[in-house]
Amino acid sequence: MPIWKNLSVIRKFVQLLAFLFLVYGSVFVGFYSADKLSGAFPVLSCAYDAKTADYCVLIPLQHQLGHGLGPAIAAGKFTLSLLLPILTTLGTFLLLFILLNKAFCGWLCPLGFFQEVLGMIGQKLRLNRTESLDDNLVDRIRPAKWLMLGLLVILLPLASGLGFVGHELGDPFCQICPSRILTSLFAGQLNQLYIDTSSTGYMILSIIADLLFGLILVLSLTMRQPFCRICPLLAMHALFKKVGLVKLVKNYTSRCDKCGLCAKACPMDIREIHTSKEKDILMPDCTLCGRCVEFCPDKGVMALKYAVIPIKVSDPAYFKERNKAQKRWEGKQKPSRRVKKD
Amino acid sequence: MHWSPAPKEKSHGHGGHGGHDRHAGKPFLLHAGEGAEVQLMSPSKVVQPLTLEHGRVSVKAMGTGNYHALVAKRSVGDLHESAVRYIYMNGKPSGVSPSLLIGHEKSALEIEPAPLAREHWRYYSNTDAQFIVRFQGEPLAGAKVHMQTGNGSSAEFAANTEGLVTIPLPEDFTYEKPGRMANPPSEFVLTAEHHVGTERHITTFSYGYHINPEHWQPTELGLAVIGGGMLIGGFITLRKRRRREKK
Ligand code: SF4
Ligand code: SF4
Ligand code: SF4
Repeated sequence: MPIWKNLSVIRKFVQLLAFLFLVYGSVFVGFYSADKLSGAFPVLSCAYDAKTADYCVLIPLQHQLGHGLGPAIAAGKFTLSLLLPILTTLGTFLLLFILLNKAFCGWLCPLGFFQEVLGMIGQKLRLNRTESLDDNLVDRIRPAKWLMLGLLVILLPLASGLGFVGHELGDPFCQICPSRILTSLFAGQLNQLYIDTSSTGYMILSIIADLLFGLILVLSLTMRQPFCRICPLLAMHALFKKVGLVKLVKNYTSRCDKCGLCAKACPMDIREIHTSKEKDILMPDCTLCGRCVEFCPDKGVMALKYAVIPIKVSDPAYFKERNKAQKRWEGKQKPSRRVKKD
Repeated sequence: MHWSPAPKEKSHGHGGHGGHDRHAGKPFLLHAGEGAEVQLMSPSKVVQPLTLEHGRVSVKAMGTGNYHALVAKRSVGDLHESAVRYIYMNGKPSGVSPSLLIGHEKSALEIEPAPLAREHWRYYSNTDAQFIVRFQGEPLAGAKVHMQTGNGSSAEFAANTEGLVTIPLPEDFTYEKPGRMANPPSEFVLTAEHHVGTERHITTFSYGYHINPEHWQPTELGLAVIGGGMLIGGFITLRKRRRREKK
């Protein structure tokens, strides 16, 4: 299959360009480009990366709750105008989000891309990979993203602003965010890689951040998208997925029951895309990567659409070629040592 | 002549967050600025004249947030002086880049931050800050820039042929206790001077800078903990594999 026909290759290329733009972009488009672009970008591109072209929506959100709204309520000075900055942030986020929906994750996020690249390295190193996680485990992990969003992005910053918890918890997600460490390292800064010894609170948060980053480095080699599964942006996207223009649709046929290749291909282990009989199968955990459409062998059953325009529709000829390309890329998996011994 | 934040009047009401009252202006002090004309410039270069009261002005965002410029100018005979300070204000997004305001010629001789510490960033001790010295909008090659800090350091630097000058912000804080709260910022003032015939131009740029948090944020420990995370990751992976193989 020519690589320019392979959706996954095209996506990697877009991801690479997005990575370069979001991590180093300000060098080309100006230091203050975030002010022009959005300052509320729907992926984890980090404000602490000195070269970023635009930064993520979660930092203004946490700061507006923790430094603006919270203290004002605590001082008894709440006015509706205090909601304005938060609404502006959410509005800017939504304007962008409508354009690409959850595809921001699958196509533009630097951390999402980094995890995928580590996965590819894992494949090339012939590491024994876990392609799909256990259903039970997936179900147990799923609520974590809501907890991350509700607790770390909304409640704790607000509680810190209100004075209920320490100022360490003013932007707790940023404090533990792996993209902060990743993108700043790529931008050549060491200043986000630290243990903060100034207070117990900061110390605990920085330990969590570094442990999490180390975990992601290793887990990504053998498991698909380990951090995405608990990412607060995945949850935030899920809240607004109905308004986005990119859609994932399915025309269920009874042949689906015996197949299930889509769910196997899904890096987020969304088995519902296989079992669902609905038309709209954009699930909360989806990153709109399009792999399920690529690996559906049945003509016209799965499709990625932009509003009503089909961008990619499942097709047996494509499936065959794509499958071959995948096998070629993966090579033969080496059986693990233990199996060899037996 | 230069700007600095005016010492805070006693905050009332909610402890610790007095500085976040959006409706009170931010007070600034113009040192040695008797008789100067003062104005505030919005991110989109709209100008608002201000009046000095005992050398003080109080500034509020002009419609939108983002960086505003506080500019003082005074001409007496052949001496033309100016003082510029950028102030970050919260508010509605301005929709324009601060480079518009920063690049705009606010006085004949000017020290332009290149770039200015952006939102979520600060000037830190023990890091380099860069500036371009301009005269009538054009870079001034070889311009001399004098730096004076609130902690008592002073030094002189020269711009390169493109007018670019690198200022190594000195590590001149006394460090006793860790943490941002325990280490209030200080100020640095840059002064440039340029003579054209008998005309003398002097300009200042002032801004706050903070002690470098590297004092209480050791990188080595961070690296070690990341290593720990990797070990845990390896352990989880191996355990998972064993379990799978047992099945
Ligand atoms: S630390 Fe993470 S959440 Fe915070 S601005 Fe950076 S990428 Fe966004
Ligand atoms: S879910 Fe993954 S791809 Fe999406 S923002 Fe989070 S880290 Fe990035
Ligand atoms: S459901 Fe499809 S598009 Fe969504 S993450 Fe899974 S494979 Fe990608």
